[in-house]
Amino acid sequence: MLIAENVRKVYQVKEKKGWLRQQWTEVEAVADLSFRMVPGKIIGLLGINGAGKTTTIKMCSTLLTPTSGTITVDGYDAVKDDRFVKAKVNMIAGGERMLYWRLTGRENLQYFGSLYGLQGQALRNRIDSLLLQVGLYEAANTPVERYSKGMKQRLQIARGLINDPRYLFLDEPTLGLDAPIARQLRKHVSELASQHGKAILLTSHYIHEVEELCDEVYIIDKGRLVAHDTPEHLTKSLHLDTALQVVIPSLSDSLDYDLRQLAQDYGGSREIAETDEQTWEVTLRGKTDMTTPLLSLLAAHQSPVLRLSTQQPSLEDVILHMADRRGA
Amino acid sequence: MFHVAKATFIRNTRVMIRAYPWSFVIGHIFSGVYTVLFAFFAYHYVFAGQLDENFAHLTGSSDYLSYAILGGAFYAFAVSTLMNVSRSLITELREGTLEAVLLTPSLRRGYFLGNVAQQLMRTLFEFSVIVLVGAVFGLTLSHTNVWSAVLVWILSTGAFFCQALVLGSLMLWFRDTYITQNTLFAVMAFVSGVTFPIPYLPEWVQPLGLIMPLAPALDAFRQCVIQGAPLHAVSPQLFHMAALSLVYLVIGVWGIRRMEKRVMESIFG
Amino acid sequence: MKQLGSLLWAEIIKEHRHSFHSKMIYFSLLVWPVINFVTAYYSFAPFRMGGDSPLARFISYEQLPLYLLTGYLGYIFYWCLVQSSWQMSFERQAGTMEMIFISPVNRLAFLYGRSLSSLIEGVWLFFCFVLLALFFVDGIRLSGWWAPPLAFLILLVSAIVWGGFLCVLFLFSRDASFLYTVLDEPMLIFSGVRLPPMAFPVWAKVISFCFPLTYALQLIRELLMERASLQTMLPSMGLLAAVLLVLVTATVVLLRQAEKHMKKTGNMVMY
Repeated sequence: MLIAENVRKVYQVKEKKGWLRQQWTEVEAVADLSFRMVPGKIIGLLGINGAGKTTTIKMCSTLLTPTSGTITVDGYDAVKDDRFVKAKVNMIAGGERMLYWRLTGRENLQYFGSLYGLQGQALRNRIDSLLLQVGLYEAANTPVERYSKGMKQRLQIARGLINDPRYLFLDEPTLGLDAPIARQLRKHVSELASQHGKAILLTSHYIHEVEELCDEVYIIDKGRLVAHDTPEHLTKSLHLDTALQVVIPSLSDSLDYDLRQLAQDYGGSREIAETDEQTWEVTLRGKTDMTTPLLSLLAAHQSPVLRLSTQQPSLEDVILHMADRRGA
Repeated sequence: MFHVAKATFIRNTRVMIRAYPWSFVIGHIFSGVYTVLFAFFAYHYVFAGQLDENFAHLTGSSDYLSYAILGGAFYAFAVSTLMNVSRSLITELREGTLEAVLLTPSLRRGYFLGNVAQQLMRTLFEFSVIVLVGAVFGLTLSHTNVWSAVLVWILSTGAFFCQALVLGSLMLWFRDTYITQNTLFAVMAFVSGVTFPIPYLPEWVQPLGLIMPLAPALDAFRQCVIQGAPLHAVSPQLFHMAALSLVYLVIGVWGIRRMEKRVMESIFG
Repeated sequence: MKQLGSLLWAEIIKEHRHSFHSKMIYFSLLVWPVINFVTAYYSFAPFRMGGDSPLARFISYEQLPLYLLTGYLGYIFYWCLVQSSWQMSFERQAGTMEMIFISPVNRLAFLYGRSLSSLIEGVWLFFCFVLLALFFVDGIRLSGWWAPPLAFLILLVSAIVWGGFLCVLFLFSRDASFLYTVLDEPMLIFSGVRLPPMAFPVWAKVISFCFPLTYALQLIRELLMERASLQTMLPSMGLLAAVLLVLVTATVVLLRQAEKHMKKTGNMVMY
């Protein structure tokens, strides 16, 4: 298990003030953050204001030293026993960095494998299976500079898995990828956790990605933890409204009255708008689902239903709501 | 450690084959050859072979051309080794691969060892070309004590490597290669006895030569090549070099370690 | 013309903001040249000096520091442009080249303007050093009060023409740093910065006289060190003018070729 306890990171930022003068200011990127990573589970890190996601990942992967607090990986301290920790973790970042462009895909993996102490047949086997896993077996002997963005990203994943890490950090892994490739990648990530038992920490700008993949979500604002729960609980706990929308061909006064009554009964609101096609669009918002009473009401009025749709609140709504509330 | 060194060696060789740094190699060779040409022109055409009386006394030989040509070749060799090693980490930083290397539990020692072993091939090539050209323009190799010369050359690589670690940390500190390296190289050319014996310099400048491994290395190498001195005859220079190497190694290892941390902080800060 | 003016002004400001604030120019244009100059001076130490030295056939012993100072001053003028056009080749991706070709300004004027701006930015430091050093050096024999300004003008004009030519070369070549190594140090050896080209064997003289710096330095030394009259300098001036003319022609031809090439292939690189 990876346990981060009260981790804090403060950067010293140099500011140039004119010719020779400069001033150091402190910027707190992560403040008092605690979380754990458990094998087989994916946790997501979402930030509201800029904040500390990448810094957190770099601290967990031993690239940065926390200003205070501790990170332990299977009992090893990430600062003191960093070489033990390095063997157990790996990181995959979005973008096209962290690969040698002049080397082929296979040569990249050979090099990084060697840096993890792998060699000989074991390394060769590992590379072959990884190349197959990420679908680069055919392109293995092509220099990386001739790879497409998606291929580079997949090679990054292979690099991130070369030491068979128990803990994997994904920093915006789908940044700038085409939609189909991103979807494939998400599938892959979810398998890494469910089938290979890896503990994964994911940060992403695409909230639906986090919602789809993560078992738990940590929401941080300016480096501070503001919420931690499963994506479903997060959306429910905020009691955001579900929107129910129905389109009907005509609206009598009595139906109008009954609709308003229905919304009132359920503690919600009602909106009516006339559309361009001479039909009526009724939207009911409320904490509880009003689909069944609405349908029986429409049936009682013998009104045909042209279209019916519901909108559940998404994690994105949660984030936006929180951002509004925190005055972002 | 050797495992990592070997992997780094193979990686660098592959990169080199695919994108040969011709401009650096040719640059080093050219600057060596120009020193040869300068010595040749000055000696034959401008000064008609007449030397200062002190020169033979100071260098132990009146063979100016060999003196200057070896100076040029050895200087090019020092610059090349310093550049190849010291730029390695900052190049990783610029190409975005530094984090990937730092993520691994590999020892930095192995990484640098692989680097220096790989660049030996290049510097050896450059050095040979300059010496060959030098031989055409008046370098005398007939007295050379070959084994001592080779050994001094190899020991010098070690000394330059240690100095390169310090230079590499400075580069990471300043986030610059161009100014840092060229300033050092200009000073080195001035104070290390590359084109003239150090005692010609004003006394207050001479101590600067003491902290450059190039000065004792070049002195020892010249004695072995021009006068055919055996290894024990140049042992003071070798001890000087060893002491400098040790100091640079300690500072360099400490510096690189610190700079790695600092660089990671400033990327994300 | 007005547009050219504003474009140039913008270029000067940009260059200034870009490199003035950085410590780079203090090193590359003051510290290094000064160290190199001193090293060059001491490189003569192993040789027999004094009045009866063979050197006296070309330079009098007392004038050696002055000879080297003028040599390095000329060299720094030229080298500054090598460096600035070298950096311009990095800018190629940033679209500087397109800017020249898109704008209706005269391409040649742009190139020379750019050279001028980086030159002024670049040489004042070392120039001040040389002025200062001249106070402490013996052997100045001016042709007249007009000699220093004329020397400056000669350096400026020839360096700018050289810079324009380099810009074009650097812009269209794939490995610009290669050209840099090939063009930079030969100037130092062959152009009479440290050694008088007159002493060289014929093959070396031929190389010497390919560089406009050789002619410029010769003129400057005649003006500042030999009290030469304008009349005696006329032949050398004519030579310099001819060489500069060849360079300008080459620049124009290359620029035309390059533009044609680019319109056809969309690629700036010619070699």
